[in-house]
Amino acid sequence: MTTTVTASPSTSTARSNNLQFQRSIVIGFGLLVVLLIAGAILVPGFISLRNARSILLLAAFLGLASLGQTFCALVGALDLSIPYLIGAANILFPSLLVAGLPAWLAVIVVIILGAVVGSANGILSFRLQGQALIMSLGVGFAIVGAVQIYTSLGTQFGGTVFAPIPAWLRNISAFNGTFLGLPIPPVVVIWLAVVGFTIWGLHNTWFGRSIYAVGGSRTAAARLGISEFSVWTAIHAISGAMSAFAGVLLLGFSGGGFVGVGDPYLFTTVAAVVIGGTSLLGGVGGYGATVLGVLVLTVLTSLLVGLGLDFPAQQAIIGLLIIPMVAIYARSPHIRNQI
Amino acid sequence: MSLRKSLSVLAQDRSLFVPAALFAALIIGVLLLSPRLFTVNGLAGAILVATPLILTTLALTPIVMAGRGSVDLSVGPLLGFINVTLISWLVGNGITSPFAVIAWVVCLGAAYQLMQALIIIYVRIAPIIVTLASFLILSGLNLMVMSRPEGVAPDWMLSWGAGTSIFSPVLLLLVAAFAIWAIMRRTSFYSHLRMTGADERMAYTSGVQVDLIRIVAHVLGGVFVGLAALSYTALISSGDPTQGSTYTLQAVTALVLGGANLAGGRGGAVGSTLGAINMFLISYLLSTFSFGTVSGFVTQMAFGLILVGSLLVNVFLIRRQAAN
Repeated sequence: MTTTVTASPSTSTARSNNLQFQRSIVIGFGLLVVLLIAGAILVPGFISLRNARSILLLAAFLGLASLGQTFCALVGALDLSIPYLIGAANILFPSLLVAGLPAWLAVIVVIILGAVVGSANGILSFRLQGQALIMSLGVGFAIVGAVQIYTSLGTQFGGTVFAPIPAWLRNISAFNGTFLGLPIPPVVVIWLAVVGFTIWGLHNTWFGRSIYAVGGSRTAAARLGISEFSVWTAIHAISGAMSAFAGVLLLGFSGGGFVGVGDPYLFTTVAAVVIGGTSLLGGVGGYGATVLGVLVLTVLTSLLVGLGLDFPAQQAIIGLLIIPMVAIYARSPHIRNQI
Repeated sequence: MSLRKSLSVLAQDRSLFVPAALFAALIIGVLLLSPRLFTVNGLAGAILVATPLILTTLALTPIVMAGRGSVDLSVGPLLGFINVTLISWLVGNGITSPFAVIAWVVCLGAAYQLMQALIIIYVRIAPIIVTLASFLILSGLNLMVMSRPEGVAPDWMLSWGAGTSIFSPVLLLLVAAFAIWAIMRRTSFYSHLRMTGADERMAYTSGVQVDLIRIVAHVLGGVFVGLAALSYTALISSGDPTQGSTYTLQAVTALVLGGANLAGGRGGAVGSTLGAINMFLISYLLSTFSFGTVSGFVTQMAFGLILVGSLLVNVFLIRRQAAN
């Protein structure tokens, strides 16, 4: 789907890509400011510590789930298995607790399983490229089915699993969680750490630069001795691990395992990446941009909730917003300019 | 289509080997495990249940064939949108004449797809983003039009969903869709569509009006979505704002199972229909086993595994041209 469009990169397109990317950051910031002002005027109590905390909490979950999506977009892929892995982790974790695993071990097991599924997804979809997103959809479906079969063996309850959740996990993701005595949910701090590390890593490590190289031009990356296969597999593994991690953290937030908890993340992760300005064609963008996209999306949702709109209306408005947002900076050239 | 002609189509197109072989295997499986399907009532019910999926898969076919990775993720919600507006806006206001209903479903499907095609062509953003946005918009709108399943289909449609006769109006919808496809195959549009999907730049330089081809492909898909929505309404005899969305994943799976290439250029009505029928037969076979409470999950896992498997088979059995 994407390789044909980026087949002939040149220095001028690279420069204009960079300019476009800067522009998308500026537009994203502008949009965020406009949304905040609109919220301050339209919704009483919008600019408050309480609301800021709830926005940051929801942004942290979306941000963690969008990390893998950003990496995938950077090489021109999309990972549609994210919501299914989140849901699967969300029910697998409590059922492991019921099985008697200590919580810390269960967290590690779930995250490793997520990474394994993600890398399987990457290995299977590597040869498909343009059809990779459908492969990830299939993998996600198979996994969520398998995990549900596992968790419901011997119980009556299908999609939901009940288990006492450790207090520390509840504190991490709860709205009134505290971090070192401060009234900030620790998941926000975790997210900020992940943001800092990822942005640093994308620009300063061999792996980070490899992702941009593969996304920018596969031929050039191969000439540099970068294995497209290992980059492709690694980012899918990261995406799987982060989805599983987000699924575990969401359990602390919701209190009970529910397989459908990941469903909204199918489109919101893509929307956050796109609104941030990371090109779905690969090579341009970054996690910083996605963080901006996540904040725009979360503030917008909070504003729509504040205005009294229900979920269907929020969904429709966010959908309506995506096309003009993308049209501002992610238009592909006309066919006559691609020859 | 006569048997001999089907066989010659099979011989020409290697991509039909897998769906045809799977179809044969599934038929044998059904004969062994549950031959009840091959009674009049069984077949009538099967046609009723499978037709919405077959038509949705047919709707995806021209759109996917047009290339650019434009798998239309919004077909499911669009089917739901046509269903809920038909029940809530038309029937709810006393408009029940068959002519108005059919005109509404076909025109609404075609108009929506026309709009999507125009956005893809003139705003020039990736089709996958347009259809993702459409998915969100339509899923939201469906629930705004109708918050929960309600309403009744027009009186003349109630007998359609009885599932007691093989030659029901639902079968007629299917035949009509195949007729449209057969006519379309005889026009130059079909070869231009395949050229556009296989290599858009090459097609453009050869003088194919790629934009026009894309528009027609989407409108054709929209007409099929309309027919699918009509058969779906006949199946459930009411309006449902959420169930329609599940057809997206099923139709994409059926399309891949039928041997179409999601990257464009390859696909057809025979493959898509076989793929959709295979999907139906798989879930039918799975339902003959008793998995108890986990049966829904087994079906879900089976569909996922089949999608993964058929994608892999498509890659390794049919030699693809190099990525560039």
